[in-house]
Amino acid sequence: MCNSQPIQFPFPIRMKHVTQRFRIIHERSDTLRALFTNLLRQPARYHDFNAVNDLSLEVPRGQMLGVIGANGSGKSTLLKIIAGIYKPTSGKTEIHGTLAPLIELGAGFHSELTGRENILLNGLLMGYSREEMLEREQPIIDFAEIGEFIDVPLKQYSSGMHTRLAFAVATEVNPDILIVDEVLAVGDIAFQKKCFERIDKFRRAGKTILFVSHAMPHIVEHCDRAILLDKGSIVADGDPREVTALYCSVMTPELATKQ
Amino acid sequence: MKELIIVTYSYRELIWALALKELKIRYKRSVLGFLWALLNPALMMLVMTVVFATILRFGIPHYAIFLLSVLLPWTFFAQSLSYAVESIVGNGDLIKKVSVPKMVFPVAAVVSNAINLFLSLIPLSLLVLLLRHPFYSTWLYLPVPILALVIFTLGMTFLFATANVYYRDVAHIVQVLLSAWFYFTPIIYALDFIPPQMRWLFKLNPIVYVLNGFRLAVYYGMLPRWQSIAASFACAFVTLIVGFAVFRRYQDEFVFYV
Repeated sequence: MCNSQPIQFPFPIRMKHVTQRFRIIHERSDTLRALFTNLLRQPARYHDFNAVNDLSLEVPRGQMLGVIGANGSGKSTLLKIIAGIYKPTSGKTEIHGTLAPLIELGAGFHSELTGRENILLNGLLMGYSREEMLEREQPIIDFAEIGEFIDVPLKQYSSGMHTRLAFAVATEVNPDILIVDEVLAVGDIAFQKKCFERIDKFRRAGKTILFVSHAMPHIVEHCDRAILLDKGSIVADGDPREVTALYCSVMTPELATKQ
Repeated sequence: MKELIIVTYSYRELIWALALKELKIRYKRSVLGFLWALLNPALMMLVMTVVFATILRFGIPHYAIFLLSVLLPWTFFAQSLSYAVESIVGNGDLIKKVSVPKMVFPVAAVVSNAINLFLSLIPLSLLVLLLRHPFYSTWLYLPVPILALVIFTLGMTFLFATANVYYRDVAHIVQVLLSAWFYFTPIIYALDFIPPQMRWLFKLNPIVYVLNGFRLAVYYGMLPRWQSIAASFACAFVTLIVGFAVFRRYQDEFVFYV
């Protein structure tokens, strides 16, 4: 968890030549038996691949950055590095300011616990204190429109309620850097609108936002800048309209040529 | 070590919440809920008392107290270890999605079982009163062996939780190890029962010294000799230092294996 600093850094997120290498072991010795049999036969075969490859990125304060790319292009890995979940293999990552260090809304929610208990647990997991979370409990419940369900175990929630609560917790705690990863797919239109209103409020407050989505209109409408990832590298960086257009033409070339 | 203390302190609220969550979920679906933490040792005591007072006679007066004074701390150790060995793998989903110091999970598993240990001392003291066994002032000494035992347990926990990330067999091995260890430790019997020429073997067992402190204080009303106290803390700290060093060495890689 990074603490807020008195000095305002112009670039809350700064990555220099960051590489995240994964070792894919074809016959991984998951159990001792496999280990012994593999030892007898041959050394484990593996190949390395870079999920994020020599990537450099600077995100200025107050920017809403859209991150797009095909499945497997390294979006999630990039976010996990920024959130501090992965320690990259090489390169330098500097994060200035508080950041909700969770990559998926509702990570850490437990279905046997009530909504109220989950709010507290989720907040503590993100590094906030009990006191701070109790203070924010009511606004979170209000925003998520959970009502009396707040004291019911989470397993009885609908998936919409689950997402609303998760979004409310992640944003109510007021981080300097907000990571929004594909969350808006679940809520209904009314709640989506509410989420974007909140995101816009964050933007007006000068927060930095990373927004991952496969919905290109959302990227164009809300982001100041977009990057397109392919094989772990940034292949396009700039105006959301241009970057999404490029992405669409790469993904569906036959459509693009027809038009 | 310093890191362990700092992280434990700054994440104390999270560790406490995780420990309570563990207990809550353990007792969630039962009608009596939390009462089981008290009932479990109480019923076990009842069985022990009946079995050893009427059927098997070891010639040890108040055998139930003799046994439970060591069995309860042993249960704490064994349960902590069996829960904590899975604590990293079991929280894999969380570790993959939230950046949080990994050590909070094994620590929380130990804390939740420590709460159980404290609760189980209540029925034990009731049993002492019921059997009219003297209530020794040496009970006040119990925080010392409890501290040593918690430190020892944490060390073992870090070691096995780390190993289990890489080889899931470890969780099964721990179960076998624990039951063998149980019989090679003077729990249901006293060290005096062992032939003198064999005793050196039992003295290599690192948990013997700390458990001995519990029995002396509760059953005999005596304090251990300082050598025994020193040995219990030496075993505890060596285990913790080794266990935590291993954990720390590998903790950044856990996310790739869970």
